[in-house]
Amino acid sequence: MSETHPPPGKPGISRRQFLTGTGLGAAATTLLQTSEARTQASKVQAPKTVGFGPNAVACELVVNGARISVQIEPRVTLLDCLRHYMDITGPKRVCDRGTCGACTVLLDGRPIYACTMLALEAQGKKIETPESLYQDGQLHRVPAAFAQYDAQQCGFCTPGFVMAMKGCFDRNPNATPDEVEQCLAGNICRCGTYQQMRDALRSLCKKGG
Amino acid sequence: MAEIKWPEKRRLIGTKVPRLDGPDKATGRARYSQDINRPGMLHALILRSPYAHCRIKSLDLSQAQKAPGVRAIVTVGQVNYTAGRKEGKPGWEFPVSVTDVGRELFYHGDEILAIAADTEEHARDALRLVKIEYEQLPFIVKEETALQKRLGPSTVPGKDASNVLAGGSRTEGDPDGAKKAAEVLVKGTYGVPVITHCCLETHGLVAEWESPKSLTIWCTTQAVPGTAGQLQGFLAGHGITCSVRCITHHMGGGYGSKFGPDIQGQLAAVLALVAKAPVKLFLDRDEEHLAAGNRPSATATVTIGGSRNGTISVFEAASYGTPGVGRAAGVNIGILPYVYEVRNVRISTDIVRLNHGAARAMRAPAHPQNCFITECAVDDFANAAGLDPMEVRLKNLPQNDPAAVTKIPTSFPALRNTIYTDEIRIAAELSQWKKKWHPPGKGPTKGPWKHGIGMALHTWGGAGRADNDVFVTISSDGSVLVQCSTQDLGTGERTVLAIVVAEALGLDPKDLTVVIGESQIGRSTGSGGSTTAPGTAPAALVAAINARDELFRKVAPKLGLKPDDLVLEPNKITDKASGKTFTWRQFCARLGVDTVRGQGNWIPGLSNLGVGGVQVAEVWVDTETGVVRLDKIVAVQDCGMVINKLACESQVAGGVIMGINLAMFEEMIVDEQTGRMVNPDFEFYKLGGMLDMPEIIVHMHDMPERGVIGIGEPPTISTAAAIGNAICNALGVRVPRTPFSPDRVLAALHARK
Repeated sequence: MSETHPPPGKPGISRRQFLTGTGLGAAATTLLQTSEARTQASKVQAPKTVGFGPNAVACELVVNGARISVQIEPRVTLLDCLRHYMDITGPKRVCDRGTCGACTVLLDGRPIYACTMLALEAQGKKIETPESLYQDGQLHRVPAAFAQYDAQQCGFCTPGFVMAMKGCFDRNPNATPDEVEQCLAGNICRCGTYQQMRDALRSLCKKGG
Repeated sequence: MAEIKWPEKRRLIGTKVPRLDGPDKATGRARYSQDINRPGMLHALILRSPYAHCRIKSLDLSQAQKAPGVRAIVTVGQVNYTAGRKEGKPGWEFPVSVTDVGRELFYHGDEILAIAADTEEHARDALRLVKIEYEQLPFIVKEETALQKRLGPSTVPGKDASNVLAGGSRTEGDPDGAKKAAEVLVKGTYGVPVITHCCLETHGLVAEWESPKSLTIWCTTQAVPGTAGQLQGFLAGHGITCSVRCITHHMGGGYGSKFGPDIQGQLAAVLALVAKAPVKLFLDRDEEHLAAGNRPSATATVTIGGSRNGTISVFEAASYGTPGVGRAAGVNIGILPYVYEVRNVRISTDIVRLNHGAARAMRAPAHPQNCFITECAVDDFANAAGLDPMEVRLKNLPQNDPAAVTKIPTSFPALRNTIYTDEIRIAAELSQWKKKWHPPGKGPTKGPWKHGIGMALHTWGGAGRADNDVFVTISSDGSVLVQCSTQDLGTGERTVLAIVVAEALGLDPKDLTVVIGESQIGRSTGSGGSTTAPGTAPAALVAAINARDELFRKVAPKLGLKPDDLVLEPNKITDKASGKTFTWRQFCARLGVDTVRGQGNWIPGLSNLGVGGVQVAEVWVDTETGVVRLDKIVAVQDCGMVINKLACESQVAGGVIMGINLAMFEEMIVDEQTGRMVNPDFEFYKLGGMLDMPEIIVHMHDMPERGVIGIGEPPTISTAAAIGNAICNALGVRVPRTPFSPDRVLAALHARK
């Protein structure tokens, strides 16, 4: 599971800053039900605190080498930012709760669940999505193996598995099949293509990743 | 026109062809319906009943309507309100006091209304601002409770007096007499719970009106033209005459749960109409579990008896199952006992209606339940008789029907005994059955771990259907376009069409362009009953041959040749008369500005129906913790003529894995106190991952002489029964219900003591 947790280190915004900014941390705000009310609340708080939102703020992400700027509310997850605001739809929204791995992207080279990180936290980091593995007609060897061994059916989980496997080989080019399978333990496939994924990953292990 | 047959020598059909869209899907470039973003698109969400049974006492939308970004709100009462037709107004122009107040909601997750806003975040905020007062009503969410209160007032939709409906009964022969005469008689109760489809792409769509007369939906559906038609019908019911186009280029799973626009399709279409903007509406994961379909449970008390030599003479099953608020049973009494031929039979089933989401077709409807009920009982019978259950299976197989052997030798009735006998032999070899099977509870041990092996059989139809149009267009640059409105659920249907057309035209499947999943292309039938490949592959062959013949007719005169002298071979066309050859491109170039188009529809003789299938599971069970470890599953499967061996093997392994999930992990759990499903997620609704999977050995029993038969459903049917029998073989005691979780295994061991 460690493969899919957010990387260690300090995120760009502290939890405290975020909660203060969105008003979720303040007891009084439980009484304030509307967005307008929260807007008022943040105006009141603004002089005292450093925070973001609740209205949209600028967010710049580096995705597959490109800098992309959007206006998003601070509560928007990295996954929703990619899919809804940047039209980068390779990472899929399946469970939205960090259990299925369909939204896996690489953040500074480590696989993470994009549904469990705020977009603002991903600023300044290198984000790789599945789309980066098929550029200028060049297909990366991991998705190529998925295609060759038919390690996908409906394919909705596949980009997540591909990124988890790529992250595994990036860190350990000599990973054994068992080690690669461990790296895929945080992903779920409903069609049941695990047997074909085994064929694919074994072919890559033989080649030394 | 000469009779169209599958080619005798097949260059591509039956080989392993990687799916054409593999790289696009693996790298996230394939756009699923959920990936469609349109300019100015709004995001919509649905508000659902928090209670298992309640009535809307009051509904106040005023705050939600004023919330930031909100562009439209439409209620379920409004979309269902067709009485307004008389006044010349659609339902959503009536106030909710008319359409919704007083409306009854029948389960946790029942739809109330939908809100479209500029962002999903705003839509979520607005949902919280809807003010509803509910009157809570009595509910029943446990089958046993409903059965006890058989005559109690109904808590589910409809006019039935009771929550329990008779699902039918059937008696053959003399079951009472046979029971008396039986040398071995065993009684047991077996069951599987309600499980949900868990499509990874949740149900939903993007709806966009190009004009008041024309609606396009990008909908995740396994019935592309059917869904467009249903939505068109719904809108017509509100006085809106328009065309509806459905696009489904890729879809993230269906498994039987995605045959129409559903309520979310109706809501999205109306929201888009009212807001005058495209609307995206997809369910969240919890909604998918609650309201997007499930497979009915089944429980049966079975009495099975026969002679000491293993001939089964009597099979009785009193069964019940729940479709939630739906009405379809989980047990099909017409095919019970499953697979085997038994003379004396008494079967009955009750349909127990409960306050949870409605059942929908799910991969081989009723078959996994029927298989589990029958195959567990067959093993218990074999164990009581002291016989190898494989031998008991061979002894009780249905015979080949002599009339069918004469009249239709490739039909399933003509071949069934031969198919099962061959497949049992192959499965026994691949699993080393003779070496590994042992009397129950008497196998090898490793400390507290005990070894077990079990077998189960299944059957399915998988026929081809008419009303599937395939179009093959050949252009002067040699390019070939294949079009069909059908859908690819993940089966590799796109590649099936390419293989068949490429085979017929002597080309490489990769050189073809295949466009599917667009309703306006033509007719196609929904992907239900494993009918897509057997419905469309024959149509593709006919279309390709028609296109080829048309190409010859148009080009031959330009070359001074006779069409009948031309022979098509891989990448070349030869004139028999002169011996002259042309490459495909050279020949097509003679079309000039012309193109040729061949149309094909399903014809009989190229597809078939009826398959067998045998699976063997090998397990180790820890008698101290109750943990079951799957070691190996062998699946032997026929599907007539295999088109793509690679995709076929993947379908079978995938079916086995869905069966493993049924056996080991899945169960919809509804709390009896609150009536709420407690595991509508992927944390507590378990699906197996990579590390849970045993070695899976797939053997395709190819029978090309039978023509194409569907493969999607059969391989998932018998896995859970085979695993259940393997656990029984390990422990010498039956674990009667899935999932085979440690507590159930320990409970079964404890009950024996």
